[in-house]
Amino acid sequence: MKSLIMGNEAVACGALKAGMTFFAAYPITPASEIMHELADREPEIAFVHAEDEIASIHMAIGASLAGRKAMTSTSGPGMSLKQEGIGLAHMMEVPLVVVDVQRVGPSTGMPTLPAQGDILQAAHGSHGDYLPIVLSPASVEECYRYTIEAFNAAEESRSPVILLLDGYLAHLQETVDLDAIPVAVRPRTLAPLGQGRRHFTGLLAKDGVPRTKDTAYYREWYAGMKARMLEAAAHYRFYDYQKNPSSDTLIVAFGITHRVVSHLRESYSLFKPVRMFPVLEDELRAAAAEHAKIVVVEMNDGQYRGEIQKILRREVLGVSVLGGTISLKEIREQLRGL
Amino acid sequence: MDYKDYIKWERMPTTWCPGCAIGTIFKQTAFALADLGLPAEELTVVSGIGCSGRAAGYFNVDSVHATHGRAIPVAEGIKRANPRLKVIVFSGDGDLVGIGGNHLLHAGRRDIDLAVICVNNGIYGMTGGQMAPTTPAGEKTLTSPHGSAYAPLNIQGIITSNRRHWFARASTFHVAHLQRVIREAVERPGFAFVEVMAFCIENFGRRLGFKSGHEMLTTLKTGYKLRPGTEGLLGDGELGVVKHDS
Ligand SMILES: Cc1ncc(C[n+]2csc(CCOP(=O)(O)OP(=O)(O)O)c2C)c(N)n1
Ligand SMILES: [Mg+2]
Repeated sequence: MKSLIMGNEAVACGALKAGMTFFAAYPITPASEIMHELADREPEIAFVHAEDEIASIHMAIGASLAGRKAMTSTSGPGMSLKQEGIGLAHMMEVPLVVVDVQRVGPSTGMPTLPAQGDILQAAHGSHGDYLPIVLSPASVEECYRYTIEAFNAAEESRSPVILLLDGYLAHLQETVDLDAIPVAVRPRTLAPLGQGRRHFTGLLAKDGVPRTKDTAYYREWYAGMKARMLEAAAHYRFYDYQKNPSSDTLIVAFGITHRVVSHLRESYSLFKPVRMFPVLEDELRAAAAEHAKIVVVEMNDGQYRGEIQKILRREVLGVSVLGGTISLKEIREQLRGL
Repeated sequence: MDYKDYIKWERMPTTWCPGCAIGTIFKQTAFALADLGLPAEELTVVSGIGCSGRAAGYFNVDSVHATHGRAIPVAEGIKRANPRLKVIVFSGDGDLVGIGGNHLLHAGRRDIDLAVICVNNGIYGMTGGQMAPTTPAGEKTLTSPHGSAYAPLNIQGIITSNRRHWFARASTFHVAHLQRVIREAVERPGFAFVEVMAFCIENFGRRLGFKSGHEMLTTLKTGYKLRPGTEGLLGDGELGVVKHDS
């Protein structure tokens, strides 16, 4: 049945559809509706309004190890706090989903105007080398669909998958029939705590035994982790490419900015990455090869543009939509000026 | 069950220095678990970071070695996900009471069913001997070279500020009592906190002039006595249990 729902509600519905049975979070606008939606569903799921974002992600890690599909949600200030747990979950290979509904930063910034300023934080916010899978939906329907896929990718990669929303999308209301969206759900793979002898640790370890001074083993472990992440990510190549044969310019945009620039499809080609990280190298290279100019439109000062430039090894232009307000007119003018 | 079943012997020797107090608490925990006859399939041990935090990896059960200060929220997630598991937190004073202090406040308030064993050696042992929130006033450490200017944190006060509570203070000298209160903490439904007065010879004691771990151990023998019953708060030199069940 069709109903009018907002992005945050669709995330909550997607999580339930994916089989999530543990949720912990700390309130923050514009992410709180995800919490509100899940607060009254015990005993179907365990729900914790935790003391802070650090606690909530670590609770989700514990719950995941104990056998449940788990999720936590927040916005930029809380995402900064969650980075510690994200690193731990990568090291311990714990599947879980972390939702970041972006708002203008740094710090408390412009509460609670929308932004897309946590792109690099999503990819590199915790210390050390790791390769997270990051998905960015661009409609209410996609919020539902890609929340489920985030859980699937988490199970397959045994890692914390990040779902990036922005304040606009989170509060955007659209009429959708969620039941009509077919998405397969991957079952749990990790055997729950209570098997007897396993040791999960944030230290470099082999079969549960710390190997903290073993450079050769670190390199072997890292190569294995990288291969595992890339192999899993290969099954989640979500994007949309609309070529406009009369345009020599390709616009790359994601989330709400894609929604806004999609009105320019008569004048430009459009590429919407949903899987933001690992960056869709082959797909972007192929699309870029067909265009003289590449422009990334994003609500930050060129974070994703830098990533794409790195991959394409050619100049990539950018339109930075800053300060929490997005206007098609302004974007159109800036595009003309490039 | 034999206490030996709860220890990963292939991981011995431990990382702990000769004369360290943590081994005693580890072993008494194994004794308590054996006494309760808990099968490994019903047990999980969670630690944070620190010398004490290495304990999780030495228990022969599924275990988690979390980040610094986060043993309690990881344990709470586990317990809520699978209430049939007995979840034990074994970690240090800096970890549980310093960086993890906020979680201690709130897990205690929620009265989540965990047994928390806190090695109180009054110092950040693993990082070389910096002042902990539990360092006695006046004691010299690497970060309090003129003696700590502050009174140690009142852990008993924090735990017992919750209406329903269970707090025990034990010591690594009084091992029979230590084992008994660990057993009680594991059995008790709800949040149970055991503060174990311990010591660190290499990164604390030597700087204070102690020659050996044993010499530090005798300060626990002379400094603490057992208080019978569970009425009222424990005095500074008292070991025992404080509880309120409704
Ligand atoms: C976030 C973070 N900050 C600091 C450290 C460094 N560190 C490791 S152990 C430790 C102190 C541990 O003290 P305590 O919990 O009392 O354990 P002990 O070694 O005394 O048993 C610190 C500060 C860390 N690992 N992580
Ligand atoms: Mg200590």
